[in-house]
Amino acid sequence: MFGLSNPQRFMDFTGPLTPVLWTAAAVLLAVGTWLSFSVPADYQQGDTVRIMFVHVPAAVWGLGAYSALGVSSFFALVFRHALADAAARAAALPGAAFTALALFTGSLWGQPMWGTWWVWDARLTSVLVLFLFYLGYMALRASIDDEQKGARAAAVLGLVGLINLPIVKFSVDWWNTLHQPASFLTPGASGLDPVYLPPFLTMLAAYGVLFLALWLTAIRTEIRRRRVLTLRARQVLEA
Amino acid sequence: MLDLDMSPYAAFVWPAWGVSALVLAALTARAVVASRKWKRELERLEKDQSATSDAAVFPRPQVVRSTIGPEA
Repeated sequence: MFGLSNPQRFMDFTGPLTPVLWTAAAVLLAVGTWLSFSVPADYQQGDTVRIMFVHVPAAVWGLGAYSALGVSSFFALVFRHALADAAARAAALPGAAFTALALFTGSLWGQPMWGTWWVWDARLTSVLVLFLFYLGYMALRASIDDEQKGARAAAVLGLVGLINLPIVKFSVDWWNTLHQPASFLTPGASGLDPVYLPPFLTMLAAYGVLFLALWLTAIRTEIRRRRVLTLRARQVLEA
Repeated sequence: MLDLDMSPYAAFVWPAWGVSALVLAALTARAVVASRKWKRELERLEKDQSATSDAAVFPRPQVVRSTIGPEA
């Protein structure tokens, strides 16, 4: 595992892996979509229950991507590891997109079920804060000309944002929220009707595999970009 | 059997799925385009680099002559 921290070994290992991940994500998304529109409508929520199959995976992997960003930022900051910094940077955009999707689809689900597009309850607000951390991370990196200084400043912000993850997860338990408590990962029994489990789990896996494919591809691109910058600098020195 | 009649919630279900599909497609396209762009650029530079190092190992005759001084 630690051998993969060497960029060349990482490239060798992930080279054949990424096409497999892209293919698996495409297949899982196709099957998940088909299953999502094959199950019956919910007796209370009607067809809006189908929003769950895109909303929950986006929210789960928006959080997962931030965990990847935060842990990578820690290694980049403490060990000054270039690959860890590339991994943190690569997780930011897909994570921000997944979190934005969770907010958007949640709003579309909330209007017909709660009668409102938005409410400042703990879960919705903490997810909005998560999205702002993503935006802040990307903006900070982009705003500092010196890439190394920008990376260190963004890594500090990435680490601080980790504090928000348990707040997002447990907000529905710690405060009274309009958002429902966890219904799938409830100890003892799942609150989800078994008929919805196949599309739900397939879409959850599809988003996860897609995130991995996007992340690994972006890390590989970042490694190549840095090699290009090094070679260009060498050419300028030799000229 | 597929059930595509979302009424009376079509205005909520289809935008949720449509925007999700668009965003995931855009993320995928961006990742693939960036990957190809930097891969091409790296290959080009490495080719240039190896051509330069070949030239250093096997210098052109006029360079060799200049290092040993003008011919008598």
